[in-house]
Amino acid sequence: MIITSAKSFEVILALLKNEDNMFVIGCNVCAAKLRTGGEPEVLEMCRKLEESGKQVVGWALPTAACSIRSFESLVDKNEKIIDACCILVMACGSGVSSVANVVGVPVYGSNDTISLGSLSGGKLISNQCVMCGDCIIGEFGGICPKAQCSKGLLNGPCGGNVDGMCEIDRLKDCAWTLIYERLKKIERLDLLYNIHTPQEHGFK
Amino acid sequence: MHLNFREKLNSSKFLVTAEISPPKGTNFSVSLEDASQLKGVIDALNVTDNQCSMMHMSSLAFSKLLLDDGHEPIMQLTCRDRNRLGLQSDLLGAYALGIRNICLMTGDFPSCGDHPGSKPVYDLDSVQLLQLVRKLDSGIDFAENKLTGGTSFCTGAVSGINPANPLQLIKLEKKVKCGAYFIQTQAVFDLGMFEEFMEAINHLDVPVIAGLIPLKSLGMAEFMNRNISGISVPEEIIFRMRKASNPMEEGLSIASEAISELVKLSRGIHIMPIGSHKNTLRLLYMARLLEK
Repeated sequence: MIITSAKSFEVILALLKNEDNMFVIGCNVCAAKLRTGGEPEVLEMCRKLEESGKQVVGWALPTAACSIRSFESLVDKNEKIIDACCILVMACGSGVSSVANVVGVPVYGSNDTISLGSLSGGKLISNQCVMCGDCIIGEFGGICPKAQCSKGLLNGPCGGNVDGMCEIDRLKDCAWTLIYERLKKIERLDLLYNIHTPQEHGFK
Repeated sequence: MHLNFREKLNSSKFLVTAEISPPKGTNFSVSLEDASQLKGVIDALNVTDNQCSMMHMSSLAFSKLLLDDGHEPIMQLTCRDRNRLGLQSDLLGAYALGIRNICLMTGDFPSCGDHPGSKPVYDLDSVQLLQLVRKLDSGIDFAENKLTGGTSFCTGAVSGINPANPLQLIKLEKKVKCGAYFIQTQAVFDLGMFEEFMEAINHLDVPVIAGLIPLKSLGMAEFMNRNISGISVPEEIIFRMRKASNPMEEGLSIASEAISELVKLSRGIHIMPIGSHKNTLRLLYMARLLEK
């Protein structure tokens, strides 16, 4: 799941200060679950924009904003989009980009995209994956240090761990403490002795 | 006969190293003057690399200034500020300028320092940086390209001293496997803990130089206990600092007593004063590492 958080309405209004006749597009997958772009949030956004003097020509809620096939598929959902002078997308950055690829008007995002995470048992967990394109998460018991260690260290913790908490945020568990506990639970502490070479960055 | 730091590591001499910070600015005379007290007395001088993420002159430049002034520097290098290109360039430059000793570490996160919004790099971790230096030492770069002259560094690494922290012990083992030729530790206050640590790493063939911070006040001891990872000041020392009429003197006595035990447990001591080295010589006399 892509974790997003909604920008404040004041910030969104500032982004749209030179725009009018807008069309709002939500996302019925991650953003809907996180309440940053589902139907209730889209309707609320339309109401507040109109209250602020903006003309909203219409709205649509595709299944996934990141998988929009074509402009025609948006017209099929709501033909009012043809009259739009700009589009506000209530999705992640990928959803905003996907919409921008198929329309010919300015596109704005109402959310900040935070990380790839999960919603598990009602608990939101951020930064579970950095989408590095070189997955070795199995080496760490399913807890990726590239994503969860603040320094992305692959060969063990830094010296900043205090009582199992992270150097930069004493309220956050040190990823390496979590990795140790997980590997102990699954009886694979031997994996801790593997020496990992650095991530190969580059164009993907 | 004058032995260099690597040769001293290979000898039976009890080693004394100390830490010094480059200046925060281009005027280096005060920093060189502080270092000059230790010239010919200690075996090598660690030069910190933007310690605690506080921006200072580069460790490379100040190491060279110290070298020119007759010191033997150990250039510290962290993974925080440079990617593998920058790290290798600086290492080649340092070697070409005559710097032979380095100490490698991860580095504190930028948010701990005076440029908290700075982008953290950590392209490599400290184990991988040791692997990188091993390649430069064999005449090739990290991408296996041949160098026009390689390096031959005396390469050290750092470690905490908690014997009950398996992750730390495993990482230390990896560092030794990847070429750490000496280890400098976090400050030792709990000698029992340090003895257990040395037993826990008995299987590793590497000289361990024990870190030492002379206490200056009760507040400093309590602050380190609360905030500094891997530092554990025992209650007995807290009590002594609390009742001391002259806490600075008491701190030196505590450090001096620690040295007399560390002579038996480690290959050397590494003095990290908070501030200047004005008491370092006195500490060495008190601990009888220097004769009057």
